[in-house]
Amino acid sequence: MWKDIRDREAGKLRPNSFANRVKSDRVSSLQLSNHKDIVSPHRGSVNSLQVDLTEGRYLLSGASDASAAVFDIQRASHSEGLIAKYQCLFAVDKQHEHGHKYAISSAIWYPIDTGLFVTGSYDHHINVWDTNTTQVVVNFKLPGKVYRTAMSSLATSHMLIAAGTEDVQVRLCDISSGAFSHTLSGHRDGVMSVEWSASSEWVLITGGCDGAIRFWDIRRAGCFRVLDQSQSQLGRRPPISGWTANKLSTSKSHLASQGSNMKSRILHKKLATNGNATKPSSTTGKLPAKGSTRQRLHPGLLSSQDRAVSHYGAVTGLKVTGDGMYLLSAGSDSRLKLWDVESGCNTLVNYETVRLHTNKPLQLATSQDSALVFAPCMANIKAFDMWTGKASLTLSGHYEAVNCCLYSFQDQELYTGGNDRQILVWSPSRDSTELWTRRIGNPVQTKITGATDCPLPQGRSVSTLMPSIKLCPPCT
Amino acid sequence: MIMEQDRGDGAKVRVLIQKATNSTDSEVHPRLLKAIKSVVRSSDSELRVAAQTLMDLMKRDHSQVRYLSLLVIDELFMRSKLFRSLVVENLDQLLTLSVGFRRNVPLPAPAAVASILRSKAIEFLEKWNDSFGIYHRQLRLGYDYLRNILRFKFPNIQANAARRQQERMKRERRSKEILLSKFEMLKGNFSSIKEEIQSTLDEIRECLDIVHSKEDSKAMIPLDDDITEDFRPSELRQIRLDALKEGEIVHENNDNKVIFDALREVYKLMSKHLVSIKEWISVLVRVDSTDTRFRDSALREFIDIRNSLCAVKKRCEESGCTFTESANHDDKDEDFWEEGPVGATENGDSVACERKKEDLAMIGGSFTYERKNEDLVVAPTANVIKNAGTETISEAHVGKAVQNGEVGSSDSAPSLRNKLLADAPVIEWGSFLNTWDSKMDILANQRGLELESHWGRVDYDATIPAEKIAELNVRTSLYKEDQPEIQPCRAPLRKGGLCQRRDLRVCPFHGPIVPRDDEGRPFDTSSSLDETTPPDQEMGSVEKLVKQAVKNVRARDKEAAEKRERDKQALKRAKLAKIREHNEAVLRDAAVASTSRSSGLGECMETTGEMSGSAGNKKKTLALMLRKKTLTKDRISQRLLGIRSRDSTQRQLTLSQGANYGDAFPNQW
Repeated sequence: MWKDIRDREAGKLRPNSFANRVKSDRVSSLQLSNHKDIVSPHRGSVNSLQVDLTEGRYLLSGASDASAAVFDIQRASHSEGLIAKYQCLFAVDKQHEHGHKYAISSAIWYPIDTGLFVTGSYDHHINVWDTNTTQVVVNFKLPGKVYRTAMSSLATSHMLIAAGTEDVQVRLCDISSGAFSHTLSGHRDGVMSVEWSASSEWVLITGGCDGAIRFWDIRRAGCFRVLDQSQSQLGRRPPISGWTANKLSTSKSHLASQGSNMKSRILHKKLATNGNATKPSSTTGKLPAKGSTRQRLHPGLLSSQDRAVSHYGAVTGLKVTGDGMYLLSAGSDSRLKLWDVESGCNTLVNYETVRLHTNKPLQLATSQDSALVFAPCMANIKAFDMWTGKASLTLSGHYEAVNCCLYSFQDQELYTGGNDRQILVWSPSRDSTELWTRRIGNPVQTKITGATDCPLPQGRSVSTLMPSIKLCPPCT
Repeated sequence: MIMEQDRGDGAKVRVLIQKATNSTDSEVHPRLLKAIKSVVRSSDSELRVAAQTLMDLMKRDHSQVRYLSLLVIDELFMRSKLFRSLVVENLDQLLTLSVGFRRNVPLPAPAAVASILRSKAIEFLEKWNDSFGIYHRQLRLGYDYLRNILRFKFPNIQANAARRQQERMKRERRSKEILLSKFEMLKGNFSSIKEEIQSTLDEIRECLDIVHSKEDSKAMIPLDDDITEDFRPSELRQIRLDALKEGEIVHENNDNKVIFDALREVYKLMSKHLVSIKEWISVLVRVDSTDTRFRDSALREFIDIRNSLCAVKKRCEESGCTFTESANHDDKDEDFWEEGPVGATENGDSVACERKKEDLAMIGGSFTYERKNEDLVVAPTANVIKNAGTETISEAHVGKAVQNGEVGSSDSAPSLRNKLLADAPVIEWGSFLNTWDSKMDILANQRGLELESHWGRVDYDATIPAEKIAELNVRTSLYKEDQPEIQPCRAPLRKGGLCQRRDLRVCPFHGPIVPRDDEGRPFDTSSSLDETTPPDQEMGSVEKLVKQAVKNVRARDKEAAEKRERDKQALKRAKLAKIREHNEAVLRDAAVASTSRSSGLGECMETTGEMSGSAGNKKKTLALMLRKKTLTKDRISQRLLGIRSRDSTQRQLTLSQGANYGDAFPNQW
């Protein structure tokens, strides 16, 4: 650790990778936090959790008792001895004059700031709330229970709420006009999960109870891709540029069987090189092998392709990785699947899930560099290695099924909400700090860090130094 | 090497724990528990093994095992941090197995033990949460979950204790405040209290002085006489002195009546003062005020005052005034409105009760008081009794009072009166007597007081008809059993005299109670039990012999009857056994006839059954707790539905079928 710090100071180590190293260390030691207690005001199962995207500070939760609450997770409201208690800043529930009547299935922040948040409920309504006045500012009435709402974090040209409901059609609600701007039809059953692409503001991904995952380009009619679980062969990719393409192809061939940090890093680099060029329009152009057929098919896909399913049973959860290249899906067949977004192929990573619960939408989470996937498996939360599917952590603390998990990139903390009405905080154990101090205690290490004095003050300086290490997002 | 040793020790712990949990008791054997604790204390690895073993045992499908292992877990949990952290990691599992809150994982079989297990687990969880919840989020979570979401009832021991403590504190504080306020009050009017008491004291002293001075002046003369004439004999002198002493006790007469009255008054005041002084002292002793100087001085002064008061009181009593009597007189005045004690025998009380009656009559709005009380003469009799000073009356029994009154005032028309009295019912006294036998209607809204009430219009002429009143006044009477008088034993005692014990039938020392003459000899000597009578009692030997013979004969008869009964039973049993044997033999034959294998099976089954039976008789085991009691019915059904019998019946059926066939077609195969 201290060697790393020294290396970073010397410039041998990139600050980026240093931060990543620290973060992954911390993630691997997640455990139930004893000193961070979120006092849940909910009297029903917690269905949705989200931290705001601007500050990473305000946690929004929606629960089955038609209540939504906002917590400040950076500042405790009070503390009892060691235990810091986080009480909600405010909560809206049935008593509110415009509050929801039935369970809130999803509560999300407006991606640009914390002035607005959106709640979708089983009472067929989507409410847009003003955070400061806690009043409903816009209200949408949908034809069925709302399962999931989503807003694009990249969007600069629209402010649409995508709503997956009991109804077969996905609707996009425009906050600025207060009307439905789009009605996307294609699913044959209700839509349980909705996710905007992380790479393009126009691409929407929806997963239905019919087991299909559809990709929509909201600028055109119809869906342009249906994921097929049986399609697992990657087509030959066009060469992007010299060595990257070579590497990429090798890595891709290995991907299904095994993965490693190196590979993910390569992929990461690839993203960096690609930049913003992964727009769907360009994507279609970049795949000449299939491009022609797809071009022709797009307005209404081939009927065989249209009937493809990605899960047996409903698709209960979707999660796009941070780089927008991969899509994770959870289904009521108790499987997690990882899809290559660009080609639409099933990567066949075998996640060691035991059982997922089937009748409710799930909320998955990924760690910052997409190394780990957190998935609720009944009363536990499991952390899987993204590329191998190996379960690396099993976090058990809930007494009933877990519905949602959320990973806070800033603090490397995991928040989970379950049917037992609790919101639990999982934070890196303090043992990791002890580990560092132990390493410092080693005389060789002390030499390296240049501490020529007696080790005791060194240890103390460590303990005072530790909390002050700021794990800032990687600077570019 | 070390590893090896660890493993060996781990085995030891495991064996110990298994031994401890393999019992049917409701407690873990204390010695085993101690052994486990001491072994586990020695190293961490053993503790880990213990935790693992206990969790495994918790999964056993038997509530008793789970219960005992939970007890062990609790013991270790309260003592070891490592063990806590190990257990807490899968607390939800532990709770599932011990509380059984998940519907798909209910607690296993012996239901009684299971319920104990549940309540114990809940209790332990609360205890753990109270003690260690702050260090383990899992504990808090589990506790919260069971309490707030599943709404389990927790014993809430600590909270209750805290609340009780708080209540006590509050009470103490309140009493302290009251004391303090009293103290402040005392501070405020300390001087006035002192002055008042002082003045009372002075007054009483003066009174005493006056009385004594008067007496002295009278008594001086004989005293002088005495001194001058000292030649008289000592006896006479002694008498004289006594008389003098007697003379010193001042007697009330017309001259000093006024003084005595005053004295009495003051005395009463003084006794009140004494009480209040005692109270003040206790307040001063108990209060913890900052003003200790005042407290001490006040205390001192109060004690002085008390002492002087006591001295004065003593003097008063020595002076021989009839204060006690006077106190009674005062009571008479004071007790005017108070409830007289039931069955009081004092004149004063009877007077009070009479007054009360008058008051009640007035309140009742009865105008017929004078007229209708003529016969029963309650009030006058009381006066009469008081004047005559005859017997005491109990106020509850008016009838008696009336009779007494008759004795007191036996002057007018005795014959008619007596006749009437003989007819008159004896009833308890009550206000309804005011309207006894009256035929008048009663004004409902007149109560003898002019009250202007503003609650609306009132019909002052409203009446309650007489029959309604009579209806309302119907009395109930309860049958009272009169106690039979229990005769004393009256057996002669060794030290002389007769036994005075009163027992219903049998005296514990002298046997059954029989009528005896004055010397304690029983009248009827032919009573049945003669063994109990003391041997020194004289008794006809012939009679004794005869009785003995009769008894012997009876005993023999009885014995014979018993024997006959027993024989009959034995016979019956033998018959039953024979039948059973026969049945069994038939069944066995049938089985043997069916297949050789099934018979072997049957034998085997029987032997195992016997063995298990004997084992069960020998010792209670865990498995036995699980097993249901097998009844005769079960055994029969088992036998009937068992394989052997089924086979045999089938065989018989086919056989008989074949026979029928053979009969029908004798010459065919």
